[in-house]
Amino acid sequence: MKRWFGPLAVLLITAVAAHALALYLAPAVIMDRAMAALEARGVALHAFTTPQRVTPQTQSVVRSSPDLYYALCRYDLANPTARLAVRMGDWPDYQSLSFFDARTDNFAVLRGTGREIAVRLLPPGSAPEQGAIVSPTARGVILIRRLAPAAERFAAAAEAGKADACALDPVSR
Amino acid sequence: MKRAGAYLAVVFAGLALGLGSALWLAGLWPARSTMAFGDVDVGGWRSDFAIGSEAADPYTRARVARHGLLALAKTEAVYFTRATDDAGAPLREGCSYRLAGGAMPAGWWSVTLYDGQSMLPANTDGALSIDAERAGGGAWSAVIAPKRPADGGLWISSKGAGTFDLTLRLYMPSPELLAKPNAALKPPRIERIACEGAA
Repeated sequence: MKRWFGPLAVLLITAVAAHALALYLAPAVIMDRAMAALEARGVALHAFTTPQRVTPQTQSVVRSSPDLYYALCRYDLANPTARLAVRMGDWPDYQSLSFFDARTDNFAVLRGTGREIAVRLLPPGSAPEQGAIVSPTARGVILIRRLAPAAERFAAAAEAGKADACALDPVSR
Repeated sequence: MKRAGAYLAVVFAGLALGLGSALWLAGLWPARSTMAFGDVDVGGWRSDFAIGSEAADPYTRARVARHGLLALAKTEAVYFTRATDDAGAPLREGCSYRLAGGAMPAGWWSVTLYDGQSMLPANTDGALSIDAERAGGGAWSAVIAPKRPADGGLWISSKGAGTFDLTLRLYMPSPELLAKPNAALKPPRIERIACEGAA
């Protein structure tokens, strides 16, 4: 009986370790693949990409809503002096500006129904600043959602999107 | 040498067991693709209010990363998913259903159909969802079916969906919904109308 203790202990330890490691790494791996897919679909780094209306033929992210306008901006703040200036233009209906880190956490969301919002995004470890948000990870995604359940509303949201901005501050380039 | 080989086999078995169980429990195994999970259950519609936040447990985080990437935290939106009708049978393209409800405790809501891969079904019907604006402020009902209903009412097309689920989005949720979801939310009912080949 004793001779089974060793193999059983090794089996248990490796199973628990593999289980925990897989769960820990899964969100980052999936996010990494999603960001690569977004890049392949033309979602720019440090710029909001003018979106197409979500349909079965244009969808690029799981469980996208066909009733919303989504504008995406990928960011990479690996340079500790980098500063990303983000602006969401005015929109009379529901809109929000949300920030997701490399582990998929929605670490900030700003609702801007009927108003414009401007904010700076800082690299991980930055000191807090007025009007700025510190990203928990160097890479991530910024997403603007606008309520636009019909084709004409989507066209209007796209027009409003011309005032959106996601760009590195010149001093940090 | 024989003993070392046995230990190597045990290590591989442990790795496979650990990886497989993690993928299964997190809903990442290919056969387990539904998002109908979570600790909040209102009339069969399930949600996890930790979605999008650091508070989410590792299983929720992994599952949402796969099936609900870029979901908002609960203060902005909550997501309920349901994969069965009121009788408990899986939702499938071969059947038609009546989805019925009323006002929701949120600033805006929608119900959207997704296939087993968490994607919009591959059809060109232009009937992927219904929302608060189309449904109006009071009681409403919609048909879920692969063909447009003759009465011209609200319709969600299940064409090309196979086995599917529905996601109820509640944007700008009321504080009462977040605090006591079972008391605040009267979720849509899903009545099966008929199935292909049924007598």
